[in-house]
Amino acid sequence: MSATRTFLLELHCEEIPARFLEPLHFEFSQALFKFFDRESILPVGATVSATGFVSDPLPDFYSPRKLAWRVKGLPTSQSDQTETQVGPPQRMCVDEAGKPTIQGLKFAEKWGVDFGTVRFEQPAGKKEPCAVVTLTKRGRPTVELLAEALPALVAGLHVPKAMRWGKSDFEFVRPIRNILCLFGEQVVPITVDGVAATDTTWGHRLFHRQHPEPVRIASPGGYEAALEAAGIVVSLDVRRARIAQQLEQLAAEAGGRVVADAELLDTLAEIVEFPRILRGDFPANFLELPKEVLVTSLREHQKSFCIENAMGELLPCFLTAANRPDDPEGFVKAGNEWVLKARLYDARFFFAEDRKHPLSDRLEKLKALTFQRELGSYHDKTGRVVALVKALATRLSGDDDHINRALEAARMAKCDLRTLMVGEFPELQGIMGGEYLRHEGAPAEVWMAVKEQYRPVGADDAIPSTPMGCLLSLCDKLDTVAGCFAVGLIPSGSKDPLALRRAGQGIVRILWEMGWELSPADLINTALAVVGARATRPQAETAEALLTFFRDRVAYQLELAGFAGSVRRSALAAGWTNLADLKTRCENLSLFSEDSRFASLAQSAKRIGNILKDEVPGDQFQAALLVEAAELDLLGHLHRVEAQHDLIVTLNNLAELADPLEAFFSSVMVKCEDQALRAARLSLLHRLRQAFLRVADFSLWQ
Amino acid sequence: MHIQELILRLQRFWADRGCLIGQPYDLEKGAGTMNPLTFFGALGPKPWNVAYVEPSRRPADGRYGENPFRVYKHLQFQVILKPSPARVQELYIESLEAMGIDFSKHDLRFEEDNWESPTLGAWGVGWQVVLDGMEISQFTYFQQVGGLDCRPVSAELTYGIERICMFLGGYDNIFDLVHGEVKTDDGIFPVTYGQMRQREEFELSAYSFEHADIELHRTLFDAFEKEGWRLLKDHGHFLSAYEQALKMSHTFNVLDSRGAVSTTERPGVIKRVRDLASGCAKAFLEHEEGAALPVEAGKGGAK
Repeated sequence: MSATRTFLLELHCEEIPARFLEPLHFEFSQALFKFFDRESILPVGATVSATGFVSDPLPDFYSPRKLAWRVKGLPTSQSDQTETQVGPPQRMCVDEAGKPTIQGLKFAEKWGVDFGTVRFEQPAGKKEPCAVVTLTKRGRPTVELLAEALPALVAGLHVPKAMRWGKSDFEFVRPIRNILCLFGEQVVPITVDGVAATDTTWGHRLFHRQHPEPVRIASPGGYEAALEAAGIVVSLDVRRARIAQQLEQLAAEAGGRVVADAELLDTLAEIVEFPRILRGDFPANFLELPKEVLVTSLREHQKSFCIENAMGELLPCFLTAANRPDDPEGFVKAGNEWVLKARLYDARFFFAEDRKHPLSDRLEKLKALTFQRELGSYHDKTGRVVALVKALATRLSGDDDHINRALEAARMAKCDLRTLMVGEFPELQGIMGGEYLRHEGAPAEVWMAVKEQYRPVGADDAIPSTPMGCLLSLCDKLDTVAGCFAVGLIPSGSKDPLALRRAGQGIVRILWEMGWELSPADLINTALAVVGARATRPQAETAEALLTFFRDRVAYQLELAGFAGSVRRSALAAGWTNLADLKTRCENLSLFSEDSRFASLAQSAKRIGNILKDEVPGDQFQAALLVEAAELDLLGHLHRVEAQHDLIVTLNNLAELADPLEAFFSSVMVKCEDQALRAARLSLLHRLRQAFLRVADFSLWQ
Repeated sequence: MHIQELILRLQRFWADRGCLIGQPYDLEKGAGTMNPLTFFGALGPKPWNVAYVEPSRRPADGRYGENPFRVYKHLQFQVILKPSPARVQELYIESLEAMGIDFSKHDLRFEEDNWESPTLGAWGVGWQVVLDGMEISQFTYFQQVGGLDCRPVSAELTYGIERICMFLGGYDNIFDLVHGEVKTDDGIFPVTYGQMRQREEFELSAYSFEHADIELHRTLFDAFEKEGWRLLKDHGHFLSAYEQALKMSHTFNVLDSRGAVSTTERPGVIKRVRDLASGCAKAFLEHEEGAALPVEAGKGGAK
């Protein structure tokens, strides 16, 4: 193996938005390895798959002002390549006197060699000796290849929100101000938009207030250490780990624990170059604000974490990241406290202002808030959700007071969209409505239903904690999904801008966990009736599309619930209109998923399916015609299965059918000459299949 | 630090670095960007550096002079540098140092914040500059103004004067800020922001939330639009037409704070302002190209 070196490229930019760092770093890594692959200079041990996936991920060197890639073990040059060129036959290249002919000379000239180096050999597939030359293509030095390719690779990066700066037309994520590019200890001479690469870079801004000179990187291996000395921790993982450790420690010192937020942790690691967590305090009287308001305000405005005690109550302090190693005079802490106080003051203003009028005053104002062009305003939507709640609540409860409270919750559900607080923090919708209703003295089930109407927010979130909340959430989502389908807004492929799949999944989760016997088909028809004339597509078509949509959601729910593939497929195929029943069947089937008799049953079920494929079973089952021992035995089993209503016993009975079925198929000819007997046997199999399908379609059990 | 001292230091700093010191434009507006010194200055190829204070009105932010942090009208200090210099971030940091901020004791971050003005058909990318957790400036590389590409690109720096003063002085109430001192034979009298502005805040908030005549403003909006297009189309006058666009913009803001613009109407109304502003931008560039002369250092700026 030839010599290798380490390659290092750093683009030092003005602050790159946090959300672009990882994607840009990743995309360029891929481009870099494709280039290595193309030029046959892949690092030792690295491979690139057909889809461009790199076997060896690069260190996550990126920070607000830096995107850097370090690749170890890159060969110093391409290997020399030899290739053989075959020319005309020997007899045409050399005359009888042994002198080169014109044609022979031309062949040598074509490949730029002296005629003396032309050999005459008989290559495979040729009938006679031919002129042959061997050419050696010298491998090019890697540094040259890099210098040629890198500027185009940088310019070719896909930047989602590219910008121009100064006088140039060059576009990038933010202005590039310095380029460090080394191959071993040698600078790779590249220039991007007028910036020429060197072996120096810049450390933390504050560091350079004292040290005006750039930082020299002697070799790629010393990169992180040199930067850390200049105030930058260049690895994202290292920054994140340090932040997490400091958060934990400072929260413990304050007597609590951090209100976890993985996304916020990532953000903090991405927006600082030298992570330092500080604890600040805010006046305790702000704790009268709802917890969600405090957590949201701290997160959204100040990128700060809250601290809670063992009871989950917030403490009047916060944790935030500074982009410097210390806070010598406490200015950073005081500044953050000052800003937070202003923010909380605003939040308290909104909270007080919003409560000057009852929430219900906003109902009229919902008319001016569009939900969707064809589906009308949020006022219209509220009307539909109320109608749905009414239609479904009367089926789930006989208590008129309870139903009236559910209707009240539905009427109030969207009012908070017109409050100041939700205007400021859209993510608090629902939560604020619930809080305001609670302050107005609304019944607990009403305000809780409003507060939790958007749950489950995702696969990790719980469904609402009360039945009324579940009903409201279900009706709201159902109206959204059915309404959008009715006006042609149907998700396809990766396109689901309105997150209808998530809403649909929420509906299925609620039905699944609450065990309500409301069939999806029934819900669809009820919802479409409520959407009524706003629909722009024929109702039957929409209903069918929705049915397919819900079937997919149900299938995914089975997957989320952790059932084996065999259980999911066979149970789903036997019907899913009643989710509670489907759930019970899946749970019980799972008990048999390892039972080998079921594998045999699956074979038999397939066989039955094949036999019955082109047959129309007669109306009557003339069991008395059956004669063979095996079929009579099977008949006995069938009667037992049919008479049984307990699912577990039924499954046991079905399992016991495995042997008799095999015996039946090995000894009985179903399609016999005697038409009456044949009909009886077909009926027997048909009845068996019907018995299976009460539980599962075993032909899909594999 | 007194408000006037902060402004003076910023003006001195930028004048020393080759900026013209401009003046606020005498029409109501929501931000310093709307001043023609920026709107037209950022267009076209000629070099253009300018700095000025702009009193900026945001009717919906009015709090009757009761909220210690939020006001109907605030002061922006605006800097335009065209083309954006390679050291623009360093220059900006030096301007903060000129205000007396010692970076050995403070935390500074540039956090993504892409600016867009739908009424001006303008957008850029950049940051909000965060000092010790507090947003003190908006930093933008203009990409388009009036729907036209900016070539070269200007850097726009906007400092929130009151915020910075409050922050540096540790004030908890904007109205306690000291604007400056009046010295007379009888002694020295500090004048606070509250003394100068609190009543104005009260009346202008009341106006924009309660007293503004909605019908009158709707009529005005239509009339300014008509006037603007007449000036632009019949006379090719982009400066007087642009004034009408500014008036439309402020009238829209008043209607908005009166709650008279529905969510569905909104984009359409904004578009009417943008169309006129974009028309002015286009007419300006055509006029400039007509009068185009080679650009040389030392000869002629954008206006």
